[in-house]
Amino acid sequence: MTPDGRIKLVSELLDLPLIDSEGKYCGIVDDIEFEGTRELKLGALLVGPGAYAGRLPGWIMWLIDRIAGDRIVRVPMTTVRTITDAVHLKCPGRELGLHRSEAAAARWIPHKGAM
Amino acid sequence: MNPLELTLGIMTAVGGFVDISELVFAAKSGSTFGYALIWVFAVGTIGIIVFSEMSGRVAAVAKQPVFNLMRHRLGLKLGLVTLAASAISNLITCAAEVGGVALILNYLTGAPYLLMAILMVAGMIASIWILPFAWIERIYGLLGLFMLVFVAALVAIDPPWDKIARGFVPQVPHGLSTKELLTFAYFSVAILSAVMFPYEVYFYSSGGIEEGWGPKDILTNRMTSIIGMGLGSTLAIAILASSAQLFGPANVDPAIPGTAALESAIPFGRWGLVLALLGMFFAVSGAAVETCMANAYGISQFFGWMWGRHKKPWEAPRYTLTWIALFLLALLIVLTGVDVMTLVEFAILFSILVLPLTYLPLLLLAGDKKYMREHVNGPFAKTLGWLYFAIITSAAVAALPLYFLTSGGNG
Repeated sequence: MTPDGRIKLVSELLDLPLIDSEGKYCGIVDDIEFEGTRELKLGALLVGPGAYAGRLPGWIMWLIDRIAGDRIVRVPMTTVRTITDAVHLKCPGRELGLHRSEAAAARWIPHKGAM
Repeated sequence: MNPLELTLGIMTAVGGFVDISELVFAAKSGSTFGYALIWVFAVGTIGIIVFSEMSGRVAAVAKQPVFNLMRHRLGLKLGLVTLAASAISNLITCAAEVGGVALILNYLTGAPYLLMAILMVAGMIASIWILPFAWIERIYGLLGLFMLVFVAALVAIDPPWDKIARGFVPQVPHGLSTKELLTFAYFSVAILSAVMFPYEVYFYSSGGIEEGWGPKDILTNRMTSIIGMGLGSTLAIAILASSAQLFGPANVDPAIPGTAALESAIPFGRWGLVLALLGMFFAVSGAAVETCMANAYGISQFFGWMWGRHKKPWEAPRYTLTWIALFLLALLIVLTGVDVMTLVEFAILFSILVLPLTYLPLLLLAGDKKYMREHVNGPFAKTLGWLYFAIITSAAVAALPLYFLTSGGNG
């Protein structure tokens, strides 16, 4: 499947993992953004806890907002290479801002001692 | 197929099969109902083989971890329910294993139980930090082979083999009162839960991806599941049979995990006791590590984080922080002073309640041609899979009433 091909959005794209050009997992397709008015086209994939809104009950969203925040990262469809059992990106996730949470977590971890 | 890798994989599966809940319920089943519950262990073992083989095949073919695919298949809402249920179940199970291993260390050294829990959690965190995945899996699994002393002990006491063989035939003992029948039913549900803990399947399939399995490894996966877990369950059955022979007639209730070690001490003396405790120590430590890692795998995969111990801890930072936090949470539960047996009962109860929810996505994925192509579930795997789904669903429905009616199997 290619990004400009026909896609059954809900069953084939939503909740797929994103893998960047370096082979790293960098999120899940949490929602989809459309472009255009008369002819709707896929604009971007939305990644992050803020994109759960509308898919989960309000009280869970309130809880998620307190724990994980409401961050959303836009992944333009132009950066998507292929869609299989994962969405493969053309570029590293950090260029799209997809590795901010991993980078923040990495600051807590000493870089030594592991085989 | 590399024969050395296969042998190591099978031996690891054997040594890593038994955990604290199986240890407890095997010994209690034998002393309370003789050999009559052996068949439930056999039924549970076939179940865990069916689902492990399926999860390994999904990992090898789809090359995506089960929780990634599960969320895509079930959607965010139902996926989140499944994640929460399995995370709580795994956490309680991990706490039970940590408590169990601290208790075994307490028997071995006489040092205070809570201090041992703290030291063990520190040791297990260090082992996951330092060692790569294959070493973690192999070291705990292979050292767990000390548990084979229970098989040797059973042979040494020369049990009635005909009665053991008859135990494999599904049965309900004659002449039980209603109360005893309910306890028998509760034990059956508990054994099924202990043998088919969800963490085992999640650890196994994620482990397959950690080791880079592909379609060429499908035969290795099948043989490891069938032979490794099949032989592993003989350890649990040996504990049950020795208990039936030694503890039942003497009216000994193996109410604490350490009682099982006496099964080896009776025929082999001091060294039998030491070997049994060492086997229990490594098997239960391995289970603690597996439950914790399986829980972190599930959470990381669900949210699309970097995961795995084939990477350095700082290369998958959120996964690393998650498994450390889960270990500390499990330790916190133990430090509240809650009894290990209570933790074991909660782990059993919670696991059986969530078992259908955790195995259903796997069954759907392994039967989905889009993911599995020519390796999709055949008629045999499909029939067995749905049959076991019906069994665990019935057990889940019965678990809570049976728990309250029998006061957790204590009559």
